[in-house]
Amino acid sequence: MENFNVNCKDVDELSILYLEGFLDAHTAPLLESEIQKLVDRDRYKLIVNFKDLNYISSAGLGVFMGFVETIRSNQGDIKMCCMPSKIFRVFDLLGFPSLYDIVDGEEEAVKLYRNSEAESSVKQNSSQKS
Amino acid sequence: MDQDWLSLKMSDHILVISWAFFATVFILIALGTLRNLIYIKRKQSTARNFTWLMIMMVLYSVLAMPVAHESVRFGSAFWKTASLVILFIVINFIIINALRVAWVNYLNKKQKLGCFWGGFLLLPIQIYFTVRFQGVNPIYPFSPVLERFIEIGNIFLSVYLVVAFLALLAHLPTAKLFDRKLQQISSLHFLSRAVSSEFDVDKLVRTIVQLTTKVTEADFAWLELQHENDQQLRLVSSCRLDQTERDNKDVCFSDPLVQKIIRDRSTFSSNQAVKNSHSSHLRNWKHDLGSLIAVPLATGERVVGILYAGKTYEFGFEQEDGEMLRAFGDQAVIALENARLVKESLIKERLEQELKVAHDAQMKLLPIDMPTLPGIAIDAVCITANEVGGDYYDFFKLSPTKLGVIIGDVSGKGASAAFYMAEVKGIMESLARPDLSPKDMMCAANETLYQNFSRNIFISVVYAVLDSEANTFTFCRAGHCPVLFMSSEDEFCKRFEPRGLGLGLDSGKIFKSVLDEVTIPLKKGHTMMLYTDGVTESRNPDGEEFGENRLSEILQSVHRKSALEIKKQVIHAVFTFLDGERAYDDMTFVVIKDME
Repeated sequence: MENFNVNCKDVDELSILYLEGFLDAHTAPLLESEIQKLVDRDRYKLIVNFKDLNYISSAGLGVFMGFVETIRSNQGDIKMCCMPSKIFRVFDLLGFPSLYDIVDGEEEAVKLYRNSEAESSVKQNSSQKS
Repeated sequence: MDQDWLSLKMSDHILVISWAFFATVFILIALGTLRNLIYIKRKQSTARNFTWLMIMMVLYSVLAMPVAHESVRFGSAFWKTASLVILFIVINFIIINALRVAWVNYLNKKQKLGCFWGGFLLLPIQIYFTVRFQGVNPIYPFSPVLERFIEIGNIFLSVYLVVAFLALLAHLPTAKLFDRKLQQISSLHFLSRAVSSEFDVDKLVRTIVQLTTKVTEADFAWLELQHENDQQLRLVSSCRLDQTERDNKDVCFSDPLVQKIIRDRSTFSSNQAVKNSHSSHLRNWKHDLGSLIAVPLATGERVVGILYAGKTYEFGFEQEDGEMLRAFGDQAVIALENARLVKESLIKERLEQELKVAHDAQMKLLPIDMPTLPGIAIDAVCITANEVGGDYYDFFKLSPTKLGVIIGDVSGKGASAAFYMAEVKGIMESLARPDLSPKDMMCAANETLYQNFSRNIFISVVYAVLDSEANTFTFCRAGHCPVLFMSSEDEFCKRFEPRGLGLGLDSGKIFKSVLDEVTIPLKKGHTMMLYTDGVTESRNPDGEEFGENRLSEILQSVHRKSALEIKKQVIHAVFTFLDGERAYDDMTFVVIKDME
């Protein structure tokens, strides 16, 4: 059985998950519990870094689907970055790019969050003005 | 001896003949019995010595004839000397054979005592008769040979019995010890037999505890084993403990005795258990505890239980009792492990059986007969990696000239995927209608599945409608693998990968906007292949993936063949590539070929 590992790092209000190894039906519960922990801590702004992931199966993809609704309803999101081409191919076939922000680098994912914050604060300001 | 046979009266004749008959029978039976006793623990020379004794006894007896008849040519002095020489040899063999009393060792104490008293009463009678009739046996006038044979046979019997009696006497003091050793050995033997025959854990623990009391001659014994759930030790069986004692024996790892045994993994033995710091607390539980031995039952590094034997008085155990119990415990743990493994494998076997039933049930969900459409040949296969899986294909006869073809892969694996697959099949079947375009059909399916399935489950599907009248192949790719297309004119295979999203991922809006529908005109010799990622993601022993390129290459090389032949070639190619490696995921594909 090949190994799978998740490391989690908090950067301000963002939580970055580093996936490593082989994510399939057997290892998916590990990722699930890791994301559940973040949700329990009310951390909804996730960035998932796929740099060191070798394989992802449909069960692995299912983990993100299982959480994305809750996370988005709490003004959070799951943004994905640093996908090896093989992993991206799996996401792409299923049409995930139309559901998630998938970017090249971690900084870009962070930037996406910062921009949307700026946007919402601009909106807030404008609504206050009006 | 002076009497002549002919001078005897008739009544005496009868007396002598019956005397001779009974004496002969007696001596033959006695010799037969002695032979059996002598042959116990026989060596190579045993049989030879006994045979020689018999030969010499017969020879000595036969020599009585010339001695008795003075008329023989050589003088009687010669025959007397010859008789003496043979007698000397016979006595030597008697002594050699009389020393073969090994059987005395193997009597238990009771038998030894029985033999001792039996010998004590019977031996004097035997000796008395032997000596009394020495040379004055009434058979002599009838047959001097028989008389001599009976005489020498009786001597042999007497000598043998005396030696055996003495040997018995010498063994009496150790009889008890010997008995105990035998008991221990037979208990061990019994247990090792139980190892290979008894797989019922409850019976086995009872046997172990009962044999423990035998091996150590303990007054009571009990066995504590780790419970499957909490790994705590529990009393599972006991011998001669009363109900209150059984109920009140709570075991936990904090018990100092348990801790010591688990830590040291060695035998604990105390002849003054209530005074020993490790076991003194047991006094509160069992008031009459005197001596105690406890041995750990260990498999590898893990202590799975503890076996106890106790006596109600102090100094009840000897050093070797502990060693014996340890050896016994080692056997017991093998027996227990064995039983556990057998139980596990039985459960596994049952599960496998159930999965096989599930597999058969699932295979029945897939169409067996390939559909027919004018001018179009179709073939399909689904090879599951596990007993049940999430791959699926189906055909819907929409009209005489229209056929719906679907291939799908439910996310996840095993039983859960199989359940969803069955549900997907039902939903698709109920939705498939001739007037529904592939895109509309997919949108409707997505809506139903999104509402009914849990969020982390989704299905990737290719749904195609073949129209043999319009000669078109119209399809949508809902997140599934691309469709391979090969025309007879082209050299290379085309890969159609229109935009699309897996079913059950989105409530509908994005799904609809993303999904593209493609129509390919069909011509003679066109071949289409729909497949699941199990085919392309199958890995060889080096971990290399089969990949889309290999699949395309195979299709390019075999596309001119029939649909059935293409199917066979692809399966062959994939399994050759796998090279004995087990398939990790289900492999499914559908081959569609325009024949006209």
